[in-house]
Amino acid sequence: MTDRILRLISGIIDNDTRYRKDSKVLPVLRMLVSILAIILCACSSNAIFVITVLAVELVHLAFLPTHSMTRVLKRLPLPVIFTMIIMLPAVFLGNPRTMLTVTMKVLVSILILAIMNEDLSWKEITGSFSQLHLPDVFTMTLDMTVRFLTILSRLCQTIHEAYILRAVSVHRQDKSRMQAAGGILGTVFLKSSRMSEETTEAMECRCFNGTYRNFTRHKLSVYDILYACIIPLMIVFFIIT
Amino acid sequence: MHIPDNYLSPQTCAVMTAAVVPAWIISVNKIKKELPPKKVAMMGVGAAFSFLGMMFNIPLPGGTTGHAVGGTLIALLLGPYASCISVSVALLLQALIFGDGGILSFGANCFNMAFVLPFVGYAVAHVISPHFGTNKKRDLVAAGAGSYIGINAAAFCAAVEFGIQPMLFRDSAGNALYCPYGLNVSIPAMMAGHLTIFGLAEVVFTVAILAFMMKAAPGFFSEKKEEAGVSLSLKVLLGALIVATPLGLIAEGTAWGEWGTDEIAATGAGYTPRGMADGFSLQSLLPDYSLKGLPDWTAYILSAVIGVAVLIIVFRLIGAVLGRREETETV
Repeated sequence: MTDRILRLISGIIDNDTRYRKDSKVLPVLRMLVSILAIILCACSSNAIFVITVLAVELVHLAFLPTHSMTRVLKRLPLPVIFTMIIMLPAVFLGNPRTMLTVTMKVLVSILILAIMNEDLSWKEITGSFSQLHLPDVFTMTLDMTVRFLTILSRLCQTIHEAYILRAVSVHRQDKSRMQAAGGILGTVFLKSSRMSEETTEAMECRCFNGTYRNFTRHKLSVYDILYACIIPLMIVFFIIT
Repeated sequence: MHIPDNYLSPQTCAVMTAAVVPAWIISVNKIKKELPPKKVAMMGVGAAFSFLGMMFNIPLPGGTTGHAVGGTLIALLLGPYASCISVSVALLLQALIFGDGGILSFGANCFNMAFVLPFVGYAVAHVISPHFGTNKKRDLVAAGAGSYIGINAAAFCAAVEFGIQPMLFRDSAGNALYCPYGLNVSIPAMMAGHLTIFGLAEVVFTVAILAFMMKAAPGFFSEKKEEAGVSLSLKVLLGALIVATPLGLIAEGTAWGEWGTDEIAATGAGYTPRGMADGFSLQSLLPDYSLKGLPDWTAYILSAVIGVAVLIIVFRLIGAVLGRREETETV
């Protein structure tokens, strides 16, 4: 489970290291459309809008490279099953449709995000935040949180593995295990504060003062205009349905 | 030709499923051994064509409707084994998401449309044109004849499955438990449509797409078959077929043997068989390709888009898995 969550988080960052072409569409536009689709899906009171978005996303998924398609599909089961379990009481209370509706909305939202993550790199996403004039502190905190979550979780896991390998004679229910957990977390905390100092130094070396600038040389194209048309179309369709 | 649930007895459904399982196993093994991974992805496109073909309902005087299947087309493009799996997956999707064809009768539907139809169609086409892919005119004639005989063979099997129900399963009052029509009614009723309009539709569907493929993607019929991928023209053709699917809505009425429980008494049977009234039913996501609150034509296009996308995704993933396995074996 821990491994799966770790892979999920690190997948966001690892996206940058893989060879990828720049997005054909202006990243900020791509992100806006995704966010709007998720919000409208959440607000929709019937299945029409959600199923239409699902159909569009499925077509998008069908034309992704196979490795991207596999990554997107791997991200779906865990949240969908989790939602189904959470919504299970609705079935016993006589409202099975509620469970289906909420599960479908979660499925569509995850699908939209996972496909967006395949289309945009983490750099493009943080760059879009600055274009949306979100406070730099917010962007930097989010960026650091995601990066450190991956690094520190991996560290935590490594120390835990090392502890298990060395604790041959320790009984399963021994209190020392709990004490060890405290030790592991303490070590990780110390390490994280050291790493944050190193990050600050690295930022200074690269003349980064916490201001995110968008260095992408994206020129407006027909794709952008067509993509921008999706926003009003989506809103109109939502109102009609 | 999609047999709904409760028209066939559970025993018949079990026998038909048992009959089609060996065909599935052999087909999967053949595909693993013989079909290049790129072609497996192409099976998704084939399944999508079959799926779309089955959405174009054609009316027949008397209020019944029918459709093409496209099994022979996939068999001629990718082989009968690939066609068997492609049509089976398309039928599964139709049964689960669109409520077209039953869950219990899935085995019977696969036997008729995914096994009998492509294998008979392929065999006939190869008897007429032994070196298929070398002579365009002869190939098209062979494909037309194959598809016509294939769909009629499948319809005949479906008619026999319907017709034996009242002979085998009756209640204490002598009424049929499942399909109330015997062979004397089911065979003429099914065959009349398939020998004329529906058979012709299958021929047109097969020959038109095959002729288009010969022109747009000749690589399919060349020696280096594995080099042929999904061309742009094929994608355009798929898109055009999706947009045109609402034409299938022009045909009003229900196909013979596909009536709902509330309709069967009015078809001439005079009663609703007990096995059908108290039978198994599954609520699908988009029943009969419709969505409450959405115009029929929009829901039809939406269903077509979902169906085609899911089929392409499924077969591309299978192709990727087979490709990876092949790479591992080579290493």
